[in-house]
Amino acid sequence: MDMTQKGLDREATQAQATPLVPAVDIWEDAQGITLEADMPGVAKDNLSIGIDGDTLTLEGTVALGEPAKMQDVYAEVRVAQYRRSFTLSRDLDRDRIEAHLANGVLTLRIPKTEAAKPRRIEVKA
Amino acid sequence: MNAIAAWKQGLSEGWKSLAEGWDHVRQRAGAAMTRYSRDRIPEVPPLDDGFPLSSPHWGLLAGEVFEDRGRIVVRLEAPGIDVEDFDLQVEGGTLRVRGEKRSVRESGEGAWRMTERAYGTFERSIRLPAPVRAEKATASYRQGVLRIELPKVNAAEPPRRVKVKVG
Repeated sequence: MDMTQKGLDREATQAQATPLVPAVDIWEDAQGITLEADMPGVAKDNLSIGIDGDTLTLEGTVALGEPAKMQDVYAEVRVAQYRRSFTLSRDLDRDRIEAHLANGVLTLRIPKTEAAKPRRIEVKA
Repeated sequence: MNAIAAWKQGLSEGWKSLAEGWDHVRQRAGAAMTRYSRDRIPEVPPLDDGFPLSSPHWGLLAGEVFEDRGRIVVRLEAPGIDVEDFDLQVEGGTLRVRGEKRSVRESGEGAWRMTERAYGTFERSIRLPAPVRAEKATASYRQGVLRIELPKVNAAEPPRRVKVKVG
């Protein structure tokens, strides 16, 4: 991290306007899509997963509860908010999304709709 | 702007505009994987801010150091790691945090995948602002954040090398 980046971080912190974009892994299998997002410092109660139309939005607030009277010696993490949105394609079943949060990692399982799943077609002789 | 900074900025900008559905994700996935592949990431130049980042693959691992009269508290974001995979040592005036994040997925049978998150080993050396009683140090791991609390000593005592167990 160089001085430019530090400057940017500080501005973002002061403005309190730009949430962190959590890093994600996404992979697909025949049955659906799995998404894992790194959201360290976010507890279950401070996490929200919203679906609005085709948009899936992950939001989380970092609450680490350090005593306020401790003095910062060095700090890189100052933005306390994560947010990231994704657009869901039509072959994903938004009513059956499962979410799991452990060790600061959010895991979402989004199944495909029945119509979108691969089907084996028997060929009759 | 150095490589990591450019890389981070690229990420946030790229992904905010992600609104075209999964086809769009698929197009971007190739670039994302190239960016994260081990061999393609340039070496991070040495830092002189006392908080060097040893592994270029963990550019998003952020840390904080706090202190009050009696103790130093170090926090590191390290999501998705098993507690046994942390290795903490205090040597001289430096806290060294090593860890390994294992990928749980064997192989992708799906049509595509995208990997932004870092896997593998990382190491961070954190220069402590005051001498500490390392044998009394405690560490905890909650919600993907590693927190290490180190009681201070008076500067007269010689520094020792001690392993800290994560609980």
